[in-house]
Amino acid sequence: MNVIKVKDVHKKFKVFFDKGQSFKERILFKNRNRYEDRWVLRGINLEVEKGEAVGLIGHNGCGKSTLLKLLSRIMYPDSGSIEIKGRVSSLIELGAGFHPDMSGRENIYTNAAIFGLTKKEIDRRLKRIIAFSELEEFIDNPVRTYSSGMYMRLAFSVAINVDADILLIDEILAVGDTNFQAKCFDKLRELKASGVTIIIVTHDTSTVESFCNKAIWINDGRVLSYGSSANVVDEYLDFMNNKKYDDMFIQEEKMAEILQEENEYKNEEQSEAVPENEETEEENTLSTKEEEENKIDYNSNRFGLKYIEIVKAEIFNKNHVKTNVIKAGEPIEINIHYKVNKRLDEYVFGMGFYTLDNVCIIGTNTQLDRLVIPHSKTNGIVKFKAYNLPFISGKYILQVAVVDQNGTPMDFYRDYCHFDVISPERNIGIISLEHKWEID
Amino acid sequence: MSVFKELYDYRQMILSLVKKDLRGRYKGSVLGFLWTFINPLFQLIIYTIVFSTILKSDIDKYYLFLFVALIPWIFFSSALTGGASSVLAQQSMVTKIYFPREVLPISYVTSSFVNMIYCFIIVFIIVFISGTKINFTAILFLPVVMIIEYFLALGIALVSSSVTVYFRDCEHILGIVSMGWMYLTPIMYSVEIVPDEYRNLFYFNPMTSIITAYRDILYYSKIPDMETLTNAVILAVLFMTAGMFVFGKLKKHFAEEL
Repeated sequence: MNVIKVKDVHKKFKVFFDKGQSFKERILFKNRNRYEDRWVLRGINLEVEKGEAVGLIGHNGCGKSTLLKLLSRIMYPDSGSIEIKGRVSSLIELGAGFHPDMSGRENIYTNAAIFGLTKKEIDRRLKRIIAFSELEEFIDNPVRTYSSGMYMRLAFSVAINVDADILLIDEILAVGDTNFQAKCFDKLRELKASGVTIIIVTHDTSTVESFCNKAIWINDGRVLSYGSSANVVDEYLDFMNNKKYDDMFIQEEKMAEILQEENEYKNEEQSEAVPENEETEEENTLSTKEEEENKIDYNSNRFGLKYIEIVKAEIFNKNHVKTNVIKAGEPIEINIHYKVNKRLDEYVFGMGFYTLDNVCIIGTNTQLDRLVIPHSKTNGIVKFKAYNLPFISGKYILQVAVVDQNGTPMDFYRDYCHFDVISPERNIGIISLEHKWEID
Repeated sequence: MSVFKELYDYRQMILSLVKKDLRGRYKGSVLGFLWTFINPLFQLIIYTIVFSTILKSDIDKYYLFLFVALIPWIFFSSALTGGASSVLAQQSMVTKIYFPREVLPISYVTSSFVNMIYCFIIVFIIVFISGTKINFTAILFLPVVMIIEYFLALGIALVSSSVTVYFRDCEHILGIVSMGWMYLTPIMYSVEIVPDEYRNLFYFNPMTSIITAYRDILYYSKIPDMETLTNAVILAVLFMTAGMFVFGKLKKHFAEEL
């Protein structure tokens, strides 16, 4: 049996550029009343059966909260129809209508009344509500003395105990501590089993997968996918990954522009203050190699004798575009540009990937890979190529270094730059592993 | 019809809003609940001084003549002006949760109505002091008149509260309208002194019949004319229907406007 039937629902909002609210303003500033229609929902069709738990997912601003408001009848659609059978309880704004000066007990009455309960019905549920909220000691204190967690607990207890046929929930995970959250979920499971239809809006896809049997993915006001929650969540996460990659890519380009501008300013300032540096450099050239080695500060981010110097290092994605965002599973290339100040017999180039808490994921160098690089020219590029990057989503540190064949650092960057990896994998840890399960 | 059934289901909410309003109205003031009586009493004293010593009126027991009309008028005008902002005042609730929106003007008008009933304690004391003979059959009509006035006021509050959401000036305009309306209703004078050619127009004013009925019962100690009562009932039904219709149309976009 369908308890919710949504047919071709459209909803628009008027976005005013500057709205005059009074008569005078409307007459005097006629052109201030300009607005544009923004369609938030463009033809939603939906049927939910009794006893189902449905998760509404979608990125920010896709219209899922608006749909929930339409279902709860706070707003009405511009066209299309919504049919709902049974009493609806919405946990959208918990505690709306609470009066801070009234006691918890009095607020239970007023709040439950807002859900359409009569005094008798509330009397019958009072004990259950108080017990569920775990606020027995404080129930006769004014609500303004409650902590925000207590406040939410009370509000949630009222909303969940009104015996609704349909529950509409917006981001419930903000309720109370972990114990109370677990209790809420147990209660919701119990309600679901007893035939209550539940609709949840959330960004937490794991909740949807574990709790809901169906999921709806809404994008730009349309239902993109509706079906078993695992499938929909997979599709959605895949889409979000690509979107995140694109967004970061654009963001990165913007940041690069800003940095460049800032550098130009800096250069202008510095060019005025150049001459002083020269003396110190002269001192350096006088000392011997051993003395200098002793002076190396191994704790700083960049250290070494600078006989050979890393000018820059760049990361390229599979399309040979310079970037700091890499999709997991795709090839990555790191170009190290160097310049020789003082000729050595042999150079060893190295690189490493670290997590942000400085755990080395992999580090390698040309010596370990049995390459011998003698001196050939005074500047050039060394390329490191990996065929696929098996990291899970997150930020990582790139380390680059040049040393001589004995391991004496010439130019060593502990933390050259950070880069992001975006991965569709959902395992935890650092890397992903191609795998499957077989069950007997 | 479903609106009325739903409103019946939400009776507890109406009740608790009325209680909250009555309790909260004079909260924090020294005289508290007494203000319910002091306000109309002072209005009575002022009008009585003006009309029995300065603008001499030859009406016998003018204070009583005025008072039995003034108390019902104060209820009506508060439903008209205060009722207008009843939805606006609860915007946090309207934008966040569902309940039949009619609950808001209904509970506002009801709490003003309860206030009027409290004031009738004073009305009866004054009737008693003045030595006017009380006609008990006529008194039986008093609740009927009150209920007619209640629905009339509610009809008006439904219109004013829903229009005010879209057009905020309404609140202030209604202040002026209420003053004009008061002088065009036979409260400080008797409908008999209205020139003949305008008198029929006066009966289009729903408050004319209602004030006349109150005065018949409490001042003249007689049963109000059937004609007066039917006139009042017809107008109350008309206003109520219009109110429900307008409110029903406008309520759908409250959440977006607020």
